Amino acid sequence: MEFFTRICVSCFFFAFCSSSSIMAETLEEEFKIEGIITIASIKALQAELPKKLDLKIIDLNLKKSDSGWPVLRVQYNSDLISKDKIETTIGEIEDPAGHFYKVHKGPLITNAELSEEEIQAMSVMGDVVGISEVKNPTVDFETSVKRGEDMFKKNCAKCHGLNGNGYGVVAHGFTTWPKQLWAWNGADSGADGYLYWIIENGKSDMPPWGLILSEDERWDLINYIKTIKKPEGI
Amino acid sequence: MAKEIKPPRIRISRRIKKDKVIKVKVKFNHPSFTGLAMADDASEPVFNRVKPVTFIRNMLVYYGDDLVSRLRIASGIADDPLFIFKIKATKEADIKVVFIDNFGKKWEASKKVKFKG
Repeated sequence: MEFFTRICVSCFFFAFCSSSSIMAETLEEEFKIEGIITIASIKALQAELPKKLDLKIIDLNLKKSDSGWPVLRVQYNSDLISKDKIETTIGEIEDPAGHFYKVHKGPLITNAELSEEEIQAMSVMGDVVGISEVKNPTVDFETSVKRGEDMFKKNCAKCHGLNGNGYGVVAHGFTTWPKQLWAWNGADSGADGYLYWIIENGKSDMPPWGLILSEDERWDLINYIKTIKKPEGI
Repeated sequence: MAKEIKPPRIRISRRIKKDKVIKVKVKFNHPSFTGLAMADDASEPVFNRVKPVTFIRNMLVYYGDDLVSRLRIASGIADDPLFIFKIKATKEADIKVVFIDNFGKKWEASKKVKFKG
């Protein structure tokens, strides 16, 4: 009886240890995937990867990705497979159109630092020209900020984001992310000329709102932009 | 999309008279890609990134030692763009065009303006 109890205890101990070790070694990892061009590409990757490696695909998320890259979440046993091995295998899988997938690394948008030649050219030809000194004519700031907030939600939030973080719903199609607007929080009148110029003439992917918004509306926006605070936890 | 990048080429008129306006054509085989594609089902279409963004960022035009034009370009530019612009031939000197892409790579080409007739 004592022998039987010992065996039971040791079996239970072994089972407990091995299960806890599996729990400890099962990892979840996210990979940003390059090369998902069609619906068939999604299906092909989801079918091929588990065939080549002993892992479980949790999901391949296209819609809730902040960066715009499709995110593949997998669960794997780190004793059996390494992260590098998964990346290599993803790179070896061919999609139905004949392209190979790749794990995206590095910055979201590659834009190398400006060279000396470019900086010199910008200083000669100018980057933002014609900024004149302007004076904010607003008298009732409180009402102006409210009007500015409505206008911001209507016209600007699609790109700059509702809280001004620059991650608006359409922003990931741009060459560069829109400006995080809390950079202007509490700015003094020295920034007025620049903000007015940018809103009026646009810059990079931003259109010239001077064609759409009246002068008063532009000032309402500037007054509101200066009140946008950086949300906590960012 | 262009499969390979070829050095830029410049074409100008052979008969150039002093102080006349000449046409300069610049061809550059360079791919351009916003990096975006529609990869979801048609019921709820969404654009996703599929490849890194690739485009020509700056085009600088020099006439002799002078910088005469700068084009700031974004990812909306076509593959293998052809640029045509006019310039007043005031001196016998090189027209040099410099391209810089978003990876910081640089290409240049030049052609000498010579007066004839």
